[in-house]
Amino acid sequence: MPANFIHHPSSYRDPSGFIFEKNGVLYRQVNKVFKEHFDFFIASGCYDKLVKKDLLIPHEKINENFSGDNDWYATLKPERVSFISYPYEWGFDMLKDAALLTLDILKESLASGMILKDATPYNIQWHKGKLVSIDSLSFEKYDETIPWIAYRQFCENFLSPLLLTHYSRMPLQEMMLAYSEGIPLAVTKSLLPWRTKFSIHTYLHIHLHTKYSLKNPPTQAGKNTAFSKKKLLNLVSSLEGLITKLKLPVSKSTWSDYYDEASQRTNYLEHKRKIIQQWLEKIKPVATAADLGANTGEFSKLLSAKNIQTIASDFDANCINVLYNEIKKSDEKNILPIIIDLSKPSPSIGVNNEERDSFINRTNVDLAMALALIHHLAIGKNIPLEKIADLFQRMCRYLIIEFVPKQDEKIKLMLAGKKDIYTAYTEENFLSAFNQYFTVIEKETIAGSERTIYLMKKNEA
Amino acid sequence: MLHHLLYIDPGSGSFLVQAITAAVLGVVFFFRNIRLYIKSIFTRTPKKQDDNNPSA
Repeated sequence: MPANFIHHPSSYRDPSGFIFEKNGVLYRQVNKVFKEHFDFFIASGCYDKLVKKDLLIPHEKINENFSGDNDWYATLKPERVSFISYPYEWGFDMLKDAALLTLDILKESLASGMILKDATPYNIQWHKGKLVSIDSLSFEKYDETIPWIAYRQFCENFLSPLLLTHYSRMPLQEMMLAYSEGIPLAVTKSLLPWRTKFSIHTYLHIHLHTKYSLKNPPTQAGKNTAFSKKKLLNLVSSLEGLITKLKLPVSKSTWSDYYDEASQRTNYLEHKRKIIQQWLEKIKPVATAADLGANTGEFSKLLSAKNIQTIASDFDANCINVLYNEIKKSDEKNILPIIIDLSKPSPSIGVNNEERDSFINRTNVDLAMALALIHHLAIGKNIPLEKIADLFQRMCRYLIIEFVPKQDEKIKLMLAGKKDIYTAYTEENFLSAFNQYFTVIEKETIAGSERTIYLMKKNEA
Repeated sequence: MLHHLLYIDPGSGSFLVQAITAAVLGVVFFFRNIRLYIKSIFTRTPKKQDDNNPSA
């Protein structure tokens, strides 16, 4: 392997090529075996069309064989996505839009005489405020007589979680994490309510699909099945119609009306906003940030307004879905809304536990914000302050953190139903825990409350 | 026949079920289109009257 060459751990399945990093720059190699399809992808105008319509990430062709492989054909340098997120971290509507985007890309490629050969949500990423496909090697010359090879993959990765969420009225991101390569059709079928058999499209794509997947041996696959482009377009149209109708049932979650309620507390929010704005000037330049426990993103927007690439994370799937829909309607480009429970952030999973990286490994930002969050971890989840300090120091250089004292109304509410075993939860202990990793630069008491907000800088190792 | 890189398992029976599903959908969409056509006849927006036409 050449020097400074890192083969990306998640890029091993498709023999058409792979992703690698050299001297910190991300590239994609196209292998000789895929030459015919790749050349047609460019020559047919399919690539240009998809990029022009913001459906695919643009790349630059580099005439150099960095890998030194014999089967090298081309090297591409795609635009880099600032933060990779995974479908089990997305809100319902983001997954739904990723599904519809995949079908759009399929239709566009068919019009250019090509077909999408895989339909995995991991190929879709959030880039400059939009979902785009990042895999320029997903396209093959189209043979009308062959059905869509990625049909089952699409049903298991997109349709299954969307249908199950729609009918169960529950956020199922954790189920998606457990079935990270798609929820098997048989599982989906068994969990869907019986009445879905009477919905013709759900019946065909899930119930009937499961029946045939279980019954027929692989040798029969693809043989003697008459297929056509018209039939494929019918299939796509049916999937589109079905997915468009699916909805995340709106339930009033714990946090979605937090700001309405919080804003009633005098000028607490206003003062907090002012303090943060002042501090942001002080710690310039800040290019990336993570707003942890972002709720519906009020403070993420503050960061975004300063052109800071911001990850807005919260454990509440409703809040993140609300934020996603708001971003979609606006021309907001800097906020990525994802669902993360900081008491169990997304782990590293897949082959050698390297394929999908953990949330902590992926998060390496200039600034982390933890506003009105610490009591949820320390008292809500019983996590010791030392462990919380350790969690934050893994992800950022600067930290803006709000300390909520025990006499605060919110904590009184939390303790109303349980025994107060949190004698160690004091501001003094909080500071000694965080001083192990950070140095306090600024401190202010927020008006209309007894809460204190700190600006801290991580100590050099 | 094109050389396909079958690195995804299309799923046993997934090709066969697509043929059946697509055939059923052909029928479903055929009737849907008829229904939409008939509906469009009755819900067609009336033509705008020509102000210069004295007979109108």
